[in-house]
Amino acid sequence: MTTHLVGLGVLVVVGAVYPLVFPGALTIAIAVLLFAGWATAWDVLGGWNGQVSLGHASFVGLGAYVVAIGASHGIAPWWALPLAAVAAAVLAYGWGWTTFRLRGPYFSLSTIAVAEILRLIAINEGWLTGGATGVFIATLPEPFGIDLFSRTAQFYLALAFAAGVIATVIVVSRIRFGYQLRAVREDEEAAMAAGLDPTGVKLRAFMLSAALTAVGGGLYGMVLAFIEPHVIFSLLLSVQIALTSIIGGRGTVWGPAVGALILVGAGEAFRTTFAQANLLIYGVLILAVVLFVPRGIVGELVRRHVRRRYARRAQS
Amino acid sequence: MTDWVILLQNLANGVLMGGVYALVGVGLTLVFGVMRTINFAHGDFVVLGMYAAVLFNALLGFDPYLSLVIAVPVGFLTGMLVERLVLARIVDAPPESALLATLGISLIIGNAILLTVGGEPRSVQVAYASTTISIGGVHVSMVLLVAGAATVAAIAGLYALLHRTEIGRAIRATAENRLGAELVGIDTRAIHAIVFGLGTMLAVVAGVTLIPLLFATPTNMGAVFTLKAFVVTVLGGLGSVGAAIAGGIVLGVVEVLGASYLASEYREAYGLAAFLLILLFRPEGLFGRTVKRV
Amino acid sequence: MRDVLRAEEVTVRFGGVTAVKAVSLALGAGEILGLIGPNGAGKTTLFNAITGFAPMQAGRVTLEGRDVGTLPAFARTRLGFGRTFQTERPFEELTVLENVLVPAFLTEPRRREAERLALAVLGEVGLADRHDQPAADLNLARRRRLELAKALAVTPKVLFLDEIMAGLNPPALREMIALVRRLAERGLAVLMVEHIMQAVVELSDHVVVLASGETIAEGAPCDVMANERVIEAYLGTD
Repeated sequence: MTTHLVGLGVLVVVGAVYPLVFPGALTIAIAVLLFAGWATAWDVLGGWNGQVSLGHASFVGLGAYVVAIGASHGIAPWWALPLAAVAAAVLAYGWGWTTFRLRGPYFSLSTIAVAEILRLIAINEGWLTGGATGVFIATLPEPFGIDLFSRTAQFYLALAFAAGVIATVIVVSRIRFGYQLRAVREDEEAAMAAGLDPTGVKLRAFMLSAALTAVGGGLYGMVLAFIEPHVIFSLLLSVQIALTSIIGGRGTVWGPAVGALILVGAGEAFRTTFAQANLLIYGVLILAVVLFVPRGIVGELVRRHVRRRYARRAQS
Repeated sequence: MTDWVILLQNLANGVLMGGVYALVGVGLTLVFGVMRTINFAHGDFVVLGMYAAVLFNALLGFDPYLSLVIAVPVGFLTGMLVERLVLARIVDAPPESALLATLGISLIIGNAILLTVGGEPRSVQVAYASTTISIGGVHVSMVLLVAGAATVAAIAGLYALLHRTEIGRAIRATAENRLGAELVGIDTRAIHAIVFGLGTMLAVVAGVTLIPLLFATPTNMGAVFTLKAFVVTVLGGLGSVGAAIAGGIVLGVVEVLGASYLASEYREAYGLAAFLLILLFRPEGLFGRTVKRV
Repeated sequence: MRDVLRAEEVTVRFGGVTAVKAVSLALGAGEILGLIGPNGAGKTTLFNAITGFAPMQAGRVTLEGRDVGTLPAFARTRLGFGRTFQTERPFEELTVLENVLVPAFLTEPRRREAERLALAVLGEVGLADRHDQPAADLNLARRRRLELAKALAVTPKVLFLDEIMAGLNPPALREMIALVRRLAERGLAVLMVEHIMQAVVELSDHVVVLASGETIAEGAPCDVMANERVIEAYLGTD
């Protein structure tokens, strides 16, 4: 617990001074923070609750569209973001209610199908989304004279998003809900014997995960300023979010964030070598993780630490 | 044209597209039926087949269908290799491990192609690409007919392999009950490698067959094919090879009819919606009796 | 007054096979009912039907007079059914304490109180000193105790024990028998499926014998053991 709070403190402090030290590397930092937040939010459902979604881009897209469409109607982002969160939670409720009878890989397959259908709707319902060409965010309000299109402002928003999602997960991991999530992940029947309604628990996990993801999606919309449905709703984005979390370490507080740092960082480092083929890194790393460290990078470290600590105590 | 001729034309198109879908799906169905593995890289193997045809055409001037001579054995060996190097190591891990591993393989294949040959769409131009045959006012594409014939041949061959040979018996026994098969002396590890090899080979065949019809692109296309293959598999019945034909045809007809009579821009969505409905309400598939049959 | 748990004419069918045929039983507070019978007699199926883990085609289940037969398993748990599984099912990735926290949160939503309850239960089953051990690392006897602790942490009125004595060595068996007796003395109604005759004879107030899904005998343990049909069912007729 204290370790996590220290980690959060470090993140906030380092983040606070980052734009002063590296003013030229804000875009990549924003990408790291957004992916950290998304992957951590994904992990509420995928890691803590064990339901692997390959459709989270739907919530990124939903958030981006709510902010963009809101902006065109004069609705400020600070109203649009909570609205996006609520809309995402409602969507997740209906989505989960229909598909949570499916288990394991079948649930994952169904998320791809639902997300693809939502993507087709976003592309084709032009009256709602601006159609296949996408939508522009032309103007944003300037609270206290802050330009929300500036990279610095967006960096701090992304930092607040990532830190907020991680803080949420730290709290969740300690309270009743967090244990319900893990119990359902481990064994649904045993969870029922402990009085839990597995579908209810999964629905709440999905709604929280979706709402948090949509907030990041809204920020992403502001960063992009131009939203194309086939990009923001793409299966590849869903896959990236899921793999970031799994490679970093599912069901750990810091795994998804570490995953984001490694993957976005590696993508940037190899950008010149691999050009647009930078997803190659995701492929190689997920293969390595599945074969050699199934708990992910941070997951493996945590497990070793727990074992060692227990062994030491048992000896003394 | 009268309404019913249009309907017939649509049905013919649907059935022919269905044949293509069945060919794309049958390998996935086989792998799923025997190994219980959801092979996410299946569509990328199809794409690999397409690029193989492009390559042989460019280098040796092969007709796409002639490149099968090389693509079939190479596809089979590639599949066996992938099974041995990756899937065999996680055979006892939770089922989603295989999904994630094959997802990784999918990303590696797609992006490796992108790195080596670039992202621009490629195809092989053949004289017969736009040939159609007219039967009572209904036009039928030659290439689709060939693809349909390839589907029937592939599935008949597979059926004969499964039901007429010793190895087929071993494959079916492994699908039915892996432990039981082990107990009667079947090397199920070898069977898994062979089955994954066959699945990959079928994907490659589908790719080669499709190249006169479609342009190959490296990254997105694999996912699209994988998704289609899943839909075919689920519609027909998870793990039932013969039902892959039925699943493919249902998908083709649903898409074509949906596109003509509802909204054409939602063509893909109709298949996906059917997929979801089947998964949710009839997981044994439209035609499958049990989940275990091959 | 045997009215804490009542099961009346419970019938379970799988496809064409009737696994449990119109079995009835009743159980009062502080009472231990032993459910015995040869393998495949339908004991675990009956047990699952009563607790809501298997669908029941006919019959009634009441808890303190309230009909619970149509409620899902988790709702029955919340009303006072605590059960163990024949093969223990700990939440492997959690520690011993966290395993027991999950059911303890039912009655105590706040972490501090839930932890106190969980530790008390762990003390009762003799696992308190292992509370921070990963559940996956426990040996069989301790996994059994953990299984029992999870069932107790829902603060049940009826405790369902599915072969909780099987495979224990003699000292562990004696401890487990004493533990179950203490729980019954505390006022819990206990329904136990059991193969270990020593435990059945020492603990049960009442025994129900199932064979091929039907009750073939019931009564006091020693009477039932002497019953000819019971001996036949166990040894075969030929």
